[in-house]
Formats: sequence, structure tokens, C-alpha cells
Amino acid sequence: MTSVRERVRRGSSSSMTRDLLSASLRGRLPVVLVLVLMIIVFGITGQGFFTNISFQNITSSTSLFLLIALGETFVMISGGIDISLASNLAFSALTAGILMTKMYHGHGNGALIVIAVGVITTIVGSLIGMINGLIISLLKISPLIVTLGSWGAFFGLAEWLSVKYPIGTLPPASFTFGNDGPVVAWIVWLTILCVLIFAFVLARTRFGRYIFAIGANREAVVRAGVPVRRFTVYLYVISGLMAGLAGFISTCDFQTASSETGSSYLLIAIAAVVIGGTPLSGGEGSILGTVVGALIISVLENGFVLLGINTFMQLVAVGAATVLAVYFDQVQGRMRIRAIAMGAQGETSE
Amino acid sequence: MLSVKNIKKSYAGVAALRGVDIDLDVGLTAIVGDNGAGKSTLMKILSGVVRPDEGEIVIDGSPVTLDSPTRARSLGIESLYQDLALADTLDVASNVFLGRELVKRWAGFIHTLDDKAMRRAAAETLKAVGIGIPDVKLPVRQLSGGQRQAVALARAMYFSAQVILLDEPTAALGPKETAAFTRVVREFVERRTTVCMVTHNLPQVMELADRIVVMRAGRVVATMNVSDVTEEQLLGLMVGSAAAV
Repeated sequence: MTSVRERVRRGSSSSMTRDLLSASLRGRLPVVLVLVLMIIVFGITGQGFFTNISFQNITSSTSLFLLIALGETFVMISGGIDISLASNLAFSALTAGILMTKMYHGHGNGALIVIAVGVITTIVGSLIGMINGLIISLLKISPLIVTLGSWGAFFGLAEWLSVKYPIGTLPPASFTFGNDGPVVAWIVWLTILCVLIFAFVLARTRFGRYIFAIGANREAVVRAGVPVRRFTVYLYVISGLMAGLAGFISTCDFQTASSETGSSYLLIAIAAVVIGGTPLSGGEGSILGTVVGALIISVLENGFVLLGINTFMQLVAVGAATVLAVYFDQVQGRMRIRAIAMGAQGETSE
Repeated sequence: MLSVKNIKKSYAGVAALRGVDIDLDVGLTAIVGDNGAGKSTLMKILSGVVRPDEGEIVIDGSPVTLDSPTRARSLGIESLYQDLALADTLDVASNVFLGRELVKRWAGFIHTLDDKAMRRAAAETLKAVGIGIPDVKLPVRQLSGGQRQAVALARAMYFSAQVILLDEPTAALGPKETAAFTRVVREFVERRTTVCMVTHNLPQVMELADRIVVMRAGRVVATMNVSDVTEEQLLGLMVGSAAAV
């Protein structure tokens, strides 16, 4: 028995990039095609869709909700959900705005202040996530209920913050970070970095594998001796961290914050995850899918603007697209079950 | 040799095990009994999922504490659960190695999954146990009951289990799959593994087992060699209409 083990230990060359790509692309082709199709359609019909400003708009606006969609992807693959993201983002955005207002007194561009506040805000977001994670894993309450509760709690706290501490002049460095950068804004580069890290963790590490396994069969992972509770807390910390980061970026981008900051991002982020092929039941999904899902939503929004369609209709379209995506996923699931049942029948009739 | 001594376990005041003593030796020991006899509770205790209220577990003469599935595994005890405990959306190789993934180390602290090695090992192990699974990259949900069972067995085989616990292993299998499973279990016994199987399938017990332990209402009511008993006598012992042999 040991010999099998010994033999396989030897010689295992790396084909990581290819593996990563094929793993991410598996089953995502239809979504990618939808994205390409949309770009072509809007490119032809919408005036100025391919101009630089439109590209900047799409990448910057995608960054904000893609960041929280990344964390949400992990949580949803594990079979959970985090709906506290919206108010976590608002609370973090306000924290960032208030701290920068208090710390910046008009000297220089305040780059150090921006960096320090960026770190603090991310920690604040992570702590909110940690509260969610601890309650979910220790008290065994449904993630939907726990994060709904904390959504309310932090929305209230955000409102209180916004009334009590008005946001004033922010350091110029924060504007640079939110709006300038080589080719695209710095925040876009940061988002690309986050996408790469998340994709790597999900596809190539034990933690990534356990995220899938927990979503597929939590009990199996517990019995396999994996500290599932600890990993569950990590997942919500990561999700909160991304909300904190997005809050900070939002304040830098818009140079202000309110309790309503990012209120529509929850729907958009979950929509990106779901359109990207992560089912609510968990166990499946990919970062590439979420990125494509996010781009689809952004292209849709920008296309609507260029075509002069009422902005309110954008959310209607995103909502409808999400429901459709879930429907298609269910149809696919049913077809799979039927295929297996037919396969099993074939086997017994042999 | 794995022995349990005077194991007791109650759930909310209801006694599931009322002091059980069993010696598991190399070969196959079948534990039979009616529903509620305490067989599954005993298996859960041996696999580290449930902790007994009282009693002792001894492996090769030294007492051990089985306080987690990881601990049980590290002592060489592998379990195949009734519900198979596989992660459906993961592929065959990932399931064989779940919780014990092979990794590559980069710069000392970054560990990345070595999927290539895991796939090769899974394929070789499955081949060694003689069970055909077309591709170890297939998600487990696309497999038949027998193939899923094989994945769980490959896990035990690869990690050189000393003790294998089987809880109703063939309940969900067709005749052909059961035959394949039986062959693999025999293989384990030939490798001098201690196999402990809980089942309702008496013909299978008569065919496979070396020893039989009969449980009833949380107690062991009889222990015997398979050659000393008939299927009818066994049935009588299980339901309590016959006296202990």
C-alpha cells in the first residue's frame, strides 16, 4: 500500500497557469459569450461605447462592487451568504471619510494619512465580518439571518455616524488614488491584484478546496478532520475585509460618504456572483465567473446610459438578469440529475 | 487489535449503548442487530465522531482517546459512512484526499495543492483495488453508488488504514456493485486489515465475516465465529427469540 504512495510522490511538474485557466473556464463559456455579445451590440448601437472615458467608467465602477463580489463569491461557494456587505461598506466608507477629515489639516497631499486610514478601514470591515463569522459558526445561526441582523445594526450605526460627524475636506492623495493612475485608476489595479489573489487561493490552496467542500457537504469536511468552524470565520472576515476596502475606495473615489453609500451594491455584487455561475446552494463557482458577471452588469449599465435608457431601469435589468441566471442554473441542475438517473438505469439493465 | 471496554453512551437520557465490550481482530467482524441496537452509535464512537460517556478504547494494548475524526484517522482508523460523506461537486481525486491534500511548498511557507500527484495517486489506487472509474477528474456526483463507495474505499486503501469501519456499505448498491465491493473488502482482509462492518444483510455476513457480534438494545448479546452459526440462528439472536450461543 505504501508503494502506491511512494510512487506518486515522485515527479510532478507544474502546469499551474494552464490548470488555473481551465479550471476557471470550465462551464463558464456561455457567460463569456453573453459578455462578448453585449459588448458588440452596445458597440454598434451606443454612441461612443468604445471611447476611453467609457472604458474608464466601466473599469472604475466595476472595481467597487467587484471587490465585495469577490468576498461574496467565497462565502457563497461555501454555501453561505453575506448580506451585511452593504451597510458594512457604508459604515467603513464613513469611518474612512471621518478619519481622513479629522487627520488632514491641509498640509501636503496627505498620502500617509490615506494609507493609514486605508489600513484602519479594512480592519474595521474585517472586524464586522468577524462578528458575523463567529455568530454563524459558534451559535450555528443561519448566515442569512445573522448578516441580515448585522446589516440592520451597522446601517443604524452608519446613520448615527453620518449625522454626528460630517465629512469635510479629504487629502488630495485620496482623490488621486480613487481617480488617477496609469492607464486605469489605481483602484482598478488594486482590484486586479485582488482578483488574482482570490483566484489563486480558490484554485490552488487547501483553503480554496475546503471552501468548495464545505459548500458541497459540510459534514464530510468536518469528518475529514478539517477545522470547518475556523474556516467559516475566515470566510466572513475576508468578506468583511473586502467590504471595508470597498468602503475606503468609495470614499476616495467620490470624495464623500453617507449611510446610503453602496446601498445598491449588495444586489449588484450578488448578481455578479450568481450570473458568474455560483449557485446559492454552494459547492461550485469561480472567480473568473464572478469577474465576467461583474463586467456584464457594468457593460449593461453603461450601455443603458449611452442608449439613453432611464437609470432606474438598470437595477430592474440587473434584478431580472439575476433571477434568470438562477433559473438557468436550476434547469441545468435538473438536466444533470436526469442524466445521472438515466446512466444508472443503463447500468442496472446491463 | 482494537478493543472497546464497557462503552456507554446516552442521548438525552436515552441509553444507546449500555456497556459494550468487543474485540476487533484482523479479519472481518460483522456487527449485526435490529434497528436501535446501538450499532451505528458504536461505529461513530470508533470513528471519533461521537465521544462515549464511559468506557475505554484500547489499540494494541494501549488506551486511546478518540476525540475527533482526525485523531481516529491518525491512529489508522478509516470510516465509510452510510451517507458516504463525499463532497459531491469535488472531483474523485479531491475526495480521496479531502483533509489530507498533497501540497507543494514554495519559498517555505506557500503551500499549493499538488493536483497532478493527487490525481495520479487516486487513479493508481483505484486501479489497484480493481474498481473502474473512467476519470478521476469527474465530480463525484456524476458517479454511481458503487463508484462512490469505491472512492471512499480508495481513501482507506491509500492511507494504509489499519482498521476500516463500514456502516451499511452495500445498502445503496446494485448486485454487480455489491460483488465488486465484496472483492475489495476481501482484499483488505488479505492485507491483514481489521475490518468492522455493520449491516442488515445476513447472507452477506455469512459470506464475508470471520466473526459475528450480535447487538440488541445497546448490549452485545452474542459473539461467535461464522462457522458456528446458521443464518436462522443469527436472526433469532437479533430479534431476541433465541438464547445466546
